[in-house]
Amino acid sequence: MGLIFAFISLGLALIFGVMNIVNFAHGEFMMIGMYVALLISTYLPLDPLFSLPFAALVGFFLGIVSYRFLVQYILRGPMVAQLFGTFGLMLFLRYLFMLIFGPDVRSIKKGILVGKTLSLGWITLDVSKVVSAGLCLLLFAFVYWMINRTKLGRALKATSIDAEAARYMGIDTEKMNALAWGVGGATVGIAGGLLAHFYYITPTVGMLFILIAFAIVALGGFGSILGTFIAGLIIGLIQVIGGHYLSELKFTFVYIAYFLAVVLRPRGFFGW
Amino acid sequence: MWQVIKDIFSFRDYHRFERIGLLIFIVIILIFPLIVEQAYSRIVMIKFLLFALFGIGWNLIGGYGGQVDLGQAKNVGFGAYATALMMVWWNTPFWITVPIGMIIAAFESFGVAYPMFRLKGHYFAIATLCVALVWKELFIFWDWTGGARGVEIPVKATADFVHMQFPSNIYYHYFVFFLFITQLLFMNWFRKSKLGYQLQAVRDNEEAAASLGINVTWTKVKTYTITGGLGGVGGSFLAVYYLYIDPDLVMPLDLSILIAMTVLVGGAGSMWGPIIGAAILIPLDMYLGAWLALIGGRYGIDFMVYSLIIMIIAAREPKGIWGIIERVKGRG
Repeated sequence: MGLIFAFISLGLALIFGVMNIVNFAHGEFMMIGMYVALLISTYLPLDPLFSLPFAALVGFFLGIVSYRFLVQYILRGPMVAQLFGTFGLMLFLRYLFMLIFGPDVRSIKKGILVGKTLSLGWITLDVSKVVSAGLCLLLFAFVYWMINRTKLGRALKATSIDAEAARYMGIDTEKMNALAWGVGGATVGIAGGLLAHFYYITPTVGMLFILIAFAIVALGGFGSILGTFIAGLIIGLIQVIGGHYLSELKFTFVYIAYFLAVVLRPRGFFGW
Repeated sequence: MWQVIKDIFSFRDYHRFERIGLLIFIVIILIFPLIVEQAYSRIVMIKFLLFALFGIGWNLIGGYGGQVDLGQAKNVGFGAYATALMMVWWNTPFWITVPIGMIIAAFESFGVAYPMFRLKGHYFAIATLCVALVWKELFIFWDWTGGARGVEIPVKATADFVHMQFPSNIYYHYFVFFLFITQLLFMNWFRKSKLGYQLQAVRDNEEAAASLGINVTWTKVKTYTITGGLGGVGGSFLAVYYLYIDPDLVMPLDLSILIAMTVLVGGAGSMWGPIIGAAILIPLDMYLGAWLALIGGRYGIDFMVYSLIIMIIAAREPKGIWGIIERVKGRG
């Protein structure tokens, strides 16, 4: 679970790190990824696992489109405008899906991974969670490699550190911003596709995850991929342990952890 | 002392049109229940005044202070719970529960404010949001607050000015209007107080303000505390208006954000911002919802229109509608 959280936050960390903007609609991107997985597994003779590329594609386009039509403009405004612009986007997407699919809770019922468990002697694991965790790890490594080792990734990083200087160096920052939104959307789309295997699907599911994602990103340091990864694991652990003892308050522990973390170390563990 | 009273009631530094506008606005609100008979319109009006009230409270920290606080719902919740619980337990008069609710909300705000104002911008906004959510979860979790079931206030048979329970909406209309006017006057005074000027200096340029000897953090903490207390008043009103409260009703995340949004849409940091914002968003929300339900539209379209307007305003006019008005005025 921690890995999934970490992965959801990764997209957010990218967007936040590159553009210094809080994306409230991030949870909604994830929700859309979940619906993509649901639709593909319901109407096409494909396993929900193979819906991941589609979810990534949809997330990518969603990110680019929302950048072109909304974020580009609100970036010029003050911070308040950014908060409310993305918040408006969040409401819009949520109720668009409410309108199309209704408020019912759905879940994916068939698929290779759904509902199977793996017995490892003393411990029983949910196969879908194990495979999701594994995939997340792989993708994490991939994004890490892309950001730190490729030219494109370095351009992205340069934009995030100092957009103006990057522009002087000949980097098309507008394009990089759009790309960050696209990649952020794609990662969270995949996360949604994976999450759909073992989590219920409703149009309002995003809110729950976006807050945890905020906590993780802040804890790990905005824009740091490694930090996000570690913070995701920590938050996942806090939630599982806290939920074990006092299940009603498990999110309270997460929020308190976030609160303490940002107050004690406002830059997060690995922020620059 | 005389100076304070003069500051409270003097709107002299506003433009002539603004003063006339305010007068017209007050007259309209005063005669509204006398000319409009329709029950739904009256409910919309009360909700509008309530959100204008919340907006004025939030405007202190969010508008004049420039700090985006997304946790105002917790203060509303404190006020509402203080009133509701004390009425249920001891049958306390409403007017005693209001200051107590305000004090509780202000104390809590003061407690969390100091660490929180080490943060800036987004970090601060999300931290306030988290604090509000922690309180909501705690209120659901605790037994003495009624948990998720909430608190029900015993209904009185007749109009009761001690417990502020009335058989008709007209009473509530004037009641919330009274609270609104008191907060408006308070804001008018605060604007011109020492703290108010310090706060605006901090908003415009923190370094410059600090170099002039203003204690930046302390200014923000004081304002945040006051904002917390003002939020409690509206909460107390909610408790006696609905006569039933639960954490999902009085302290949800949506409420925090709606409060902040009304001010932003109207124009943060001006007297008219909260009024204009609430005057647009609240009737829009309620009439659109009612109209769509009438024509059999599906749930959700109203929120989509609503969010589109928010997005357009955020993208095109970050200063809000008041910003447009001021620009037109400046040109003309």
